[in-house]
Amino acid sequence: MSPPCKVRVSGGFVLLAVWFVLANGWEPLATVLGAAAVHEWGHWVVLRLLGAEVTGFRLSALGAVLETDSGRLSYGRELAAVLAGPAGNLLAALALTAAARGRWPAAVGANLVLCAFNLLPIRPLDGGRALYLLTSWLAGPAVGETAARWAGTVTAAVLAALIGGVIWKTGGSLWLLPALGAGLYWSAGPWLSGAHA
Amino acid sequence: MTSRQAGRRLANARARRRSVQSVRGGARKSEPLAAKDLRLMLRLIACGGIFVVLVAAKLLLPAKMADFNQRLSAAMERNMDVQAVFSAVGRAFSGEEGGGVAEVYQAVFHPQEEAVQTGAVSPEAPVKTAVPTPKLQDGAALERLRSFRREPVSPEGAPASETAAQEASNLAYVLYSQENLPEGVSMEQVILGFDYCAPVAGGTLSSDFGYREHPTEGEERFHYGVDLAADAGTEVRCFADGTVTAVGDSSSYGRYCVVAHEGGYSTLYAHCSRITASSGTAVKRGQKIAEVGETGMATGPHLHFELQQEGAYLNPIYYVSAL
Repeated sequence: MSPPCKVRVSGGFVLLAVWFVLANGWEPLATVLGAAAVHEWGHWVVLRLLGAEVTGFRLSALGAVLETDSGRLSYGRELAAVLAGPAGNLLAALALTAAARGRWPAAVGANLVLCAFNLLPIRPLDGGRALYLLTSWLAGPAVGETAARWAGTVTAAVLAALIGGVIWKTGGSLWLLPALGAGLYWSAGPWLSGAHA
Repeated sequence: MTSRQAGRRLANARARRRSVQSVRGGARKSEPLAAKDLRLMLRLIACGGIFVVLVAAKLLLPAKMADFNQRLSAAMERNMDVQAVFSAVGRAFSGEEGGGVAEVYQAVFHPQEEAVQTGAVSPEAPVKTAVPTPKLQDGAALERLRSFRREPVSPEGAPASETAAQEASNLAYVLYSQENLPEGVSMEQVILGFDYCAPVAGGTLSSDFGYREHPTEGEERFHYGVDLAADAGTEVRCFADGTVTAVGDSSSYGRYCVVAHEGGYSTLYAHCSRITASSGTAVKRGQKIAEVGETGMATGPHLHFELQQEGAYLNPIYYVSAL
């Protein structure tokens, strides 16, 4: 029997969602949440196939997080579970393109953007986790840690600069501010928490 | 959107660290709780501090706060079109025409303007051929005056009058033939059915409604309102009773506001230095709603005044010159 799956939704997520709806309307929110659902579903399916239990689900301003008991998984298997989310998005985009023949370009686009975004090599994102797992698998956890840390810092700093640029150029799009904050936090994060480790 | 598998390895490491800490520091069980309380307290103090600072700023510097408010709301109104960005990416992916980097760029940075030519949009040359629509868009405002012709207002204000004769004589046949008018423009003098007043007292008509030579590009463009030149800071009065439906800041209109009147009429006041009315409030005829300025695409202080009925542009001169 699987343990009860705890679902938690943070206040930050609700605030961001309300702001997003006010600024952009319902349709983009539904598109984004649909793509996010596909993404999490991808992770969930592979985790279940590999025999890991999903113990919780958290929604915060920074995204959705599946909590799982993946300690039993090997590097390779965990890598598969991590990459399953973006792969799900990519498959959804391909399926939508083939089935709808361009009727829902926004849904295809949202899936692709989410896939690409999650593959950024920044640690809480799938790409960062995958990079860590891959390098750890090949060269050991110490190398993996260093590689993931540097890749995360550099990418997050570039990302924060890009988001800042978009906000500056459009003179608005303030709902991107939390993303800018996340970018800055991620770029500094590994070093702050690593200082006393 | 992200998935983090809290590995047992990590959990074990954390547990170890915690036990080491507790041994080293001789920590009691209540300590984590105290740290949590401290965090909560700090949060409360930070929030309270922000609240007090904002209230103090509003009370002590009301003008600055109003200005800040206006800027903030303008920034919040401007937004990139997320749906358009996704659509552009989706189309590029499925290999449809019109997709590609150019469209994504357009969707992110010029959400207000329609991409009329596929792939021909470059960052340096945003689309300038947008057709005016009832919705207030930057594209509609591209017929902005850039040069000033300080001519005395004639009592009738008609383009065929002596003072405006030079430009008007060669444009008159275009102006009143109806056939050559852009879509959504009416030259009729409608009876409004409510009291109204001129938005600027003692203003000078510096540009009329209708076709005029574009000062910088040298081609004929339609001007959807009248320009009333006046000193910066001159009060802009509301044309008639109504409700303020929009207050904003745009690259072409500058600071503007829109007031809806009865019968489907609405008026636009653009290039203001300051909007004093706020969106959603009821305003009376003659009430001060803004101040004349030269924000946006303007070469001198003036009020750009437009009158619309159900999205159709009317010539405001009939009503402005009447007083």
